[in-house]
Amino acid sequence: MKRATEPIDDLDVGLQIPISDIFDRIWRLFVSMRTGLALILGLAVLSLIGTLLVQAPPEVKADPTAYATWLDSIAPKYGGWTRIFDSAGFFSMFSSVWFRGVTVLLVTSIVACSIRRAPLLWRRAVHPRIAMGDSFFANAPLTTVFGANSNPEATLEAVRRVLRRRHLRVSVDSSGGDIHVHADRFRWGPWGTIAAHLSIISILVGAVIGATWGYRDNSLAVAVGNAPVAVGGGTGLTVAARSFSATYYPGGSTPSDYSSVLAVYRNGREVASQTVRVNQPLQVGDVAFHQAYFGGAVAMRVQDAAGKVLFDEAVPLLLASTDGKESVGRFSLPEVGATVYVVEAASGVVDPSIRAGQAKVEVYNPGSDQPAATSVVSQGQSAPVAGLMFTFVRERQFAGLMVARDPGAPLVWGGAVLLVLGIVLVFYFPHRRIWVRLRRDEMHTTEVRLASAQRRDAGFAAHFARIADDIKAAVKAAHTP
Amino acid sequence: MFKMSEYSFVAGTIAVGLALACYVLAFIAVRIARARTGLVAAGVGGETVVVNGSGMAGLAAYGSLITSLALAFLTMSLMFRTIASGHGPFVNMYEFAIAFAWGVVAVYVYFEHRYHQRMLSVLVLPVALGLLIYATMQPADIEPLVPALQNNLLLTIHVAVAIIAYGTFAIAFASAVLYLIQPDGGIPGLPKPEVLDSIAHRAVVIGFPFLTLTIVFGALWANIAWGSYWSWDPKETASLVTWLLFGSYLHARVVRGWRGRRAAWLLVIGFAAAIFTFFGNLFFGGLHSYATGGGN
Repeated sequence: MKRATEPIDDLDVGLQIPISDIFDRIWRLFVSMRTGLALILGLAVLSLIGTLLVQAPPEVKADPTAYATWLDSIAPKYGGWTRIFDSAGFFSMFSSVWFRGVTVLLVTSIVACSIRRAPLLWRRAVHPRIAMGDSFFANAPLTTVFGANSNPEATLEAVRRVLRRRHLRVSVDSSGGDIHVHADRFRWGPWGTIAAHLSIISILVGAVIGATWGYRDNSLAVAVGNAPVAVGGGTGLTVAARSFSATYYPGGSTPSDYSSVLAVYRNGREVASQTVRVNQPLQVGDVAFHQAYFGGAVAMRVQDAAGKVLFDEAVPLLLASTDGKESVGRFSLPEVGATVYVVEAASGVVDPSIRAGQAKVEVYNPGSDQPAATSVVSQGQSAPVAGLMFTFVRERQFAGLMVARDPGAPLVWGGAVLLVLGIVLVFYFPHRRIWVRLRRDEMHTTEVRLASAQRRDAGFAAHFARIADDIKAAVKAAHTP
Repeated sequence: MFKMSEYSFVAGTIAVGLALACYVLAFIAVRIARARTGLVAAGVGGETVVVNGSGMAGLAAYGSLITSLALAFLTMSLMFRTIASGHGPFVNMYEFAIAFAWGVVAVYVYFEHRYHQRMLSVLVLPVALGLLIYATMQPADIEPLVPALQNNLLLTIHVAVAIIAYGTFAIAFASAVLYLIQPDGGIPGLPKPEVLDSIAHRAVVIGFPFLTLTIVFGALWANIAWGSYWSWDPKETASLVTWLLFGSYLHARVVRGWRGRRAAWLLVIGFAAAIFTFFGNLFFGGLHSYATGGGN
């Protein structure tokens, strides 16, 4: 970065802040481990708040009216804090500016730290410093010194043999007066930190890609027997449920299993078919079909006075009445401009007005919140309602599907694998380094010095001691005729 | 099999209680002896070495023996229950509490064998005992498995790695507390602060990858069963908090000013977060609330 040498105008005459200094400061801030630590803790605190406070479902958050109602519903719980938490964005913490901001800062810090560390780790792995000075051998946390009765060259061979037997890579520098040996193992271990940190970025990038370019439909109800339903999100697929079955544990309402046989079509041609269960989704290319929920459906045929069929399919009963006693389905008849509600008694509820095997049909005209006409129809029967003939063809069921296409998933899973491998590499394959110096003394024998800068590590200290003992023994053997 | 599992569970609970009593009595006996005679016990652990004529010298050894027995009983309990129910014993709070206690005791036994710091038991075993007592208050019936949980492989892996992680965090917690109650330089008779620091670090080095695996396998399973690898479900976010806290501990250990006490505090807070993650679904609901009547 060049510094401005000549003032452009009077404004440049006063306080001068070198630009390089600013960049330098920002750089130093982000490569600082202390900054990283603060950011991790900040993210932990925000996540904790997001865990402790009820979070608004995304679809509620997207609709201001629904969100206002939702806020009212939680107000008794948080009292006067409701407004404060809301304006701070704490009810949608994980999409809040705080959470995203700290995440972005953390990613910046991770990238900065990795950039700074990588060349250092590369040098250590590929071009380690072999010859260390006297003060290193004097002050290293682990050191030992002993004499050998052979000359340095012969001693070197013994030392080399021991280190190689211990699976250490041995590099020798005898350009100076002394012979210097650097021995190490797992030199790629520290790269685990880079892998683990970059994996977090991979996961986050994958999540952003998934959220931006992915597609998700959490509630696609497909009634058995209906024509294939279009799957959105530009997938070009349609899906039909060939059958559905649910079994229950004896004497309870807990389902033991529910599954549907799905068929997926592209351009009218079947491309996949499978029995889908909660733990057994159907994968078509990068689109996954999950069995999420299920319920009853009513196969209904509607004809006008002339006998023309206006509607003939199964209506999934997706809604529940406010008191939970009725299951409700809805469809519209565009040709007559009416909306029809089909009502059944919810499963397990005894309703004298709508008995088992019956459905109530309510026809609404546009703009009216009162039905124009209603009638209860039994299965297999027909009834006239508002000038139309409604036939309750039969009871059906629907499969509630969750359809997802996530182009970011490979980055997330790749990142997850990298994360685990990186962590294991860092902790279980630490770079172990030992330096040995062989110095000729006056008697043409050798002073052997071993040192390691390993941080306090009980396991390695013992390992170091064993290697030292091995070398002592080998050096002695080398000399014995 | 169900009965066998219940008996083993009760035996295991009693054994943990007895082992804890042995360790605590041994600890008190040594304290008294030390105060009376000014005798300085040698050795790393320091609490059970020579105690003149008090007759309590072997108590801690009994503690170790009974702890191993407790581990055996709890293992049997989980095994019998697996056979009785046909799936890993990780489905409701009763099963999960026993499994968590098993993890705590198992990891403790490993660390005692490895580092000979039996003083940790005085803090670790109460955690296990608390979980087991909590389990006695939960309904022990084998409940039918809702469809979402019908994935034996992932259920077993996801929860088994979680238990190991939680167990190691209990060890880290105990080490951190023993570290924090001592002034710089330590108190004679208690494990040395640097030894505790090293044990705690070792525990997290084992536990952190396991917690990472717990979350990764959880995400994998969620992607299959719930159609999304991450849903910001409260139990997910709580485990993220725990992961971030132990991650911060690992970084704190190499930041000047954070080594030692502050790092130890992070371990205490991290363990609290782990406990919160464990019990969390009891009060914040969410997708993981299989055991509380909700479920999907």
